Amino acid sequence: MTPRVAVLFGFGINCDHETKAVFELVGATADRLHVNRLISGDQQLEDYDILAVPGGFSFGDHLGSGRLLGNRMRFAMRDALRNFVDAGKPIIGICNGFQVLVKTGLLPGPEAGTSPDFLQRGSLTLNDSGRYEDRWVTLEFDPESPCIWTKGMTRMECPVRHGEGKYVMPSSEDLDRLDAQHQLTVRYVDPTTSPGAGRTDENLPYPLSPNGSMRNIAGICDATGLVFGLMPHPEAIYARWLHPMHTRQDINDSTDGLGGWEGEGLQLFRNAVEYVKQRS
Amino acid sequence: MRDVRGDVVRRQLKADHNITVTNVRSICGYLISGETPPSAVAERVDDLFADPIIEIGAANTAMLTTPTFADGPETIITVGFKPGVTDNPGKAATDGFLTLFPNDVEAKIATYTTYVFYGLPSDCDASWLAGTLHNGLIERALIADRNACEAQSWPELTFPTPPEQVFIEPQSIDLECDDATLEEISTTGLLALNLNEMHAIQAHYRDETVRQYRTEMGISPNAPTDVELECLAQTWSEHCKHKIFASRIHHVDHETGEDTVVDSLFKTHIMKPTHDMQKDVDWLLSVFHDNSGVIAWDDTWSVCMKAETHNSPSALDPYGGAMTGIVGVNRDILGTGLGARPIANTDVFCFGPPDWEGQLPENLFHPSRVLRGVHAGVRVGGNESGIPTVNGAIVFDDRYIGKPLVYCGTVGIMPRHLPDGRPSHVKTPVSGDIVYMVGGRVGYDGIHGATFSSLELTEESPSSAVQIGDPITQKKMLDMVLEARDAGLITCITDNGAGGLSSSIGEMAEYTNGCEIDLAKVPLKQAGLSPWEILVSESQERMTIAVKPEDQAAFEALADLHEVEATAVATFTSTGMFHVRYADATVAYLPIEFLHEGVPQLQLESEWRPPELPSFVPPSGADHSELLQGMLQRPNIASKETWVRQYDHEVIAQTAIKPFVGVERDGPGDAGVIAPIHGDPHGLVISCGIAPRYSDIDAGAMAAASIDEAVRNAVCVGLDVDKMAGLDNFCWPDPIESTKTPDGRFKLAQLVRANRELERVCRAYRLPCVSGKDSMKNDYGSGPEKISIPPTLLFSLFGDHPDVRKSATSDFKFSGDKIYLVGESKQELGASELAFMLTENGQAAGVGGHVPLLPHPEQNLSTYRALSQCIRAGLVRTAHDCSEGGLAVALAEMCIGGRIGAAVDIDGTGTGDVWGRLWGESLGRIVVAVPAEHEATFLSQMKGHPTTVLGTVEAAPHLTIMDGDEALVQLDVETMASLWKGTLDLTGGVI
Repeated sequence: MTPRVAVLFGFGINCDHETKAVFELVGATADRLHVNRLISGDQQLEDYDILAVPGGFSFGDHLGSGRLLGNRMRFAMRDALRNFVDAGKPIIGICNGFQVLVKTGLLPGPEAGTSPDFLQRGSLTLNDSGRYEDRWVTLEFDPESPCIWTKGMTRMECPVRHGEGKYVMPSSEDLDRLDAQHQLTVRYVDPTTSPGAGRTDENLPYPLSPNGSMRNIAGICDATGLVFGLMPHPEAIYARWLHPMHTRQDINDSTDGLGGWEGEGLQLFRNAVEYVKQRS
Repeated sequence: MRDVRGDVVRRQLKADHNITVTNVRSICGYLISGETPPSAVAERVDDLFADPIIEIGAANTAMLTTPTFADGPETIITVGFKPGVTDNPGKAATDGFLTLFPNDVEAKIATYTTYVFYGLPSDCDASWLAGTLHNGLIERALIADRNACEAQSWPELTFPTPPEQVFIEPQSIDLECDDATLEEISTTGLLALNLNEMHAIQAHYRDETVRQYRTEMGISPNAPTDVELECLAQTWSEHCKHKIFASRIHHVDHETGEDTVVDSLFKTHIMKPTHDMQKDVDWLLSVFHDNSGVIAWDDTWSVCMKAETHNSPSALDPYGGAMTGIVGVNRDILGTGLGARPIANTDVFCFGPPDWEGQLPENLFHPSRVLRGVHAGVRVGGNESGIPTVNGAIVFDDRYIGKPLVYCGTVGIMPRHLPDGRPSHVKTPVSGDIVYMVGGRVGYDGIHGATFSSLELTEESPSSAVQIGDPITQKKMLDMVLEARDAGLITCITDNGAGGLSSSIGEMAEYTNGCEIDLAKVPLKQAGLSPWEILVSESQERMTIAVKPEDQAAFEALADLHEVEATAVATFTSTGMFHVRYADATVAYLPIEFLHEGVPQLQLESEWRPPELPSFVPPSGADHSELLQGMLQRPNIASKETWVRQYDHEVIAQTAIKPFVGVERDGPGDAGVIAPIHGDPHGLVISCGIAPRYSDIDAGAMAAASIDEAVRNAVCVGLDVDKMAGLDNFCWPDPIESTKTPDGRFKLAQLVRANRELERVCRAYRLPCVSGKDSMKNDYGSGPEKISIPPTLLFSLFGDHPDVRKSATSDFKFSGDKIYLVGESKQELGASELAFMLTENGQAAGVGGHVPLLPHPEQNLSTYRALSQCIRAGLVRTAHDCSEGGLAVALAEMCIGGRIGAAVDIDGTGTGDVWGRLWGESLGRIVVAVPAEHEATFLSQMKGHPTTVLGTVEAAPHLTIMDGDEALVQLDVETMASLWKGTLDLTGGVI
């Protein structure tokens, strides 16, 4: 069985091409689907196994990043989204897609065992620096997270490219609760720490944490581990020639395709595709 | 929660004006005009206007009266747009409002921002403060000063309703008058037509045949309508017709005694060489005639590139002007062939010094404000469009205070053939095709942009010539157009840029030899625009697209899906006429041939005498370590990281060599490299070269240096030099002799020399120019206060990279690697960055002397080919271009990139003295590092090419430069890095 991925686009989403490509590189088929095709009923979300909300600037980030697209989805695709989540199908939101999922309330979502209630519980707000920045960061994953997307992943370098990536919640108890369930799936870490020992609740200085996120949070998952969102761009390191230091790598591994040049980010997409395959 | 929006204002006041403010708070305001009851809106505030987690919202009451602001603010400034100015957040809010209240279809929302100041120094004037927060040309500001704040008298903006436009029926304009009156008609109408051109128009309306068919058509037989005159003015503008490049030039060279005539610089020096090269290669698919130049990249894909300038609008409104620049050039790519997809941007800016403390002419912004505004406009335009900015430069010189240069370039990609088999670089319109206007609507904004940019900047420059781009409207249009292209629905497409529909439909109508437009069908932003205004308005985010009649339904359905407005406004014909109606009335009826070929050729005078400048003589007993520290802080050399990092440079997941390289990702990238097909390492190199200050000595040398720099930069990353193409973008001061420009002959001679060098070097490099543009009136004011920019050529290059995995970057990598200089240092310090620094410091008398020259470009090309082959063979992974600041700065940057040291001896690198070898800017030089195990192979590959060993990469982070036994430079790498990164970090810090 070849999993089918719906990659949303339209209204300023702009990482749709590469998001489609990375899913295809790990054995899925992916369609770029205009949001309005789903809203109009021209295409059905239920025909897909995975939903990806890519990065971009939907509606120019006006009135807060992800809010206007989040509203369109929250009001016009509510049932389709709820059914998709209830059916246990994976969803990923990257960068602007993460912002959309947070503002629709799909992330972090309600308690385990509850259908999505579309209540916003956290937010992503302006970076402390006040600046949009494209910069490479080091990420570390919670090995105990229920997140199906990040299984077996420890540490990864990839770029952040955002102006509103600071994850906040109203109280530290909210964060404690998510942490207890290992939903704080991925954090910014200091690259000089040893792999596996980098995650900390203490706020890291800029630019190790590029935005001042509470507890250095880079991404979270819902209680089921199926819905996952993160600000950094794992698809941007699908191949190692996209790494800023690749000119230090031995060039001799030039087999066809990615070969030895597969980037660290691709595993994340492979995890979800494999998950769907095993479930079916 | 931190109020970041307010805090950014606080930090900028500190960074730009050294004013310390305790706290700044911000309020995002929304004014709603619609049918929905205020109480209903109030219930949904948290669903749309305020984020319930991080913000406080209030409806139907001034936020300032709520408890949040009960703590005694000291000054309050509210900034909103003037009526009719594009309000992107307002547009988005309106869209979001319709999601919540779908029945309120007429609702409109305008936005404003309020800044609330606490702990403001008592001598900080509120209206001055407001001046730093808004641009009076497009925005309005309301102020509550200390007294008003104490009285709790809060500023309240009203909904910005544009003044009613008065529809004026087309008038005919009598041209049967004397020459003075003709000139007055041109001047008062902002037509920018000279007397010769007015005569040509006059003559047209005296032709009996013309009068006869006009009578039959029911249009004023003996005189142009205002629609026609405006249309001719747009089409014949310098901006659209490049009259100076097409002119007949009498050129006299007092140095050589040459006295000759050049019939069109463009045809002679740019077009002809490229057409000659086109005979030798099979990959030049489309040159000059389309919106960008197209080359075949492989069997499946072709790539194209275009660069534009947006100088005048950026001087008036840096943010809006620059944003329309970048989104405008994106549309050139979308309008190439049957539509290409923009995949990479380049941005090159020329500004006055950001730390300028001298006088500012009236009406001009401080360079730091121009820098901030232009940067923000390009950042928003590029980032929101999802196009990575992969390459660029920022150049500083006092004279750019008069007119900043804002070059925006875009690379596009398209399948060589569409699914229906048509080659995508060829437009295929036929008579009978329906012409759509797609995207934004037409408004009063953007009238007279093309003619205005063909005039010098004055205090009276019109605000209607300034616009703010709307990247999201454009992105929706772009998504839609590319889908329409792949569905085979497009027969012809072009951008609506300068000259509006007049130019876009007018130019496309040349394909079928005629068109008929109905202006009454054109959707307007506001009612009441007169026909001529509709025809020439340059309102943004519009494409003009032709569709077969049988495809109309499918095309319109696609537009609906993407929520893009598409309106059929014209039909292609083969009548030979540009026929414009307003409903039933014919308002313009011009022969296509007259419209496009009728403009008389300019006759211009050019006279070259080499400028006399005091020679640069280096001081005696200088400390080169100290000089290097000074040079690293020069704005022209200093790191631009703060600014460039704010561009998304890797969206699309293709950027293999980024603007930043090295261990801390802050070393300079020489050129951008992208691998646009996911999973495939086949790459494309994008680079640029710019050296405006060499024009102080010779604009010809300036042109050669720009081209060589672009090529060198590209070679540094592994370009295949046998497949590269270039773009020439000239920005010049007015080169036409007149009372306003008494030195016009000299400035034109500079242009002649630049073009001759362009041809010579491009032919030698086998580097075809496939597209280009010129902007010829880059002056401010007149008389003794006149500021003219230095003649500036930006040369952009795009070329093939067979495998991006086999690239090099500028950072030194491994201790023990051997450092070589490829190329030769000559005694060329004229107009060098060092000469400028020492002259400004009072340590030297002037910058004159030997400017870098390129006497044997074919030898350079051969060396470049050998070196780039070494890079692609993996022998060389470190290469850096040697340009401003010479060898010393290049080595320092390579150490900074790798946070690693180097021990170098410059003995034997050339015949000049130590100044020439260390600081000279001789062309053709690249510094490389080679692992010891590849050294022998490298040297044998480079045999016959100037290659001199310089030294070794050292683990200790320390740069040592010797000249034989003499120690010239000894500097710690971290010291160099912090100096180099400090100058242009105008952020005011993070916290």
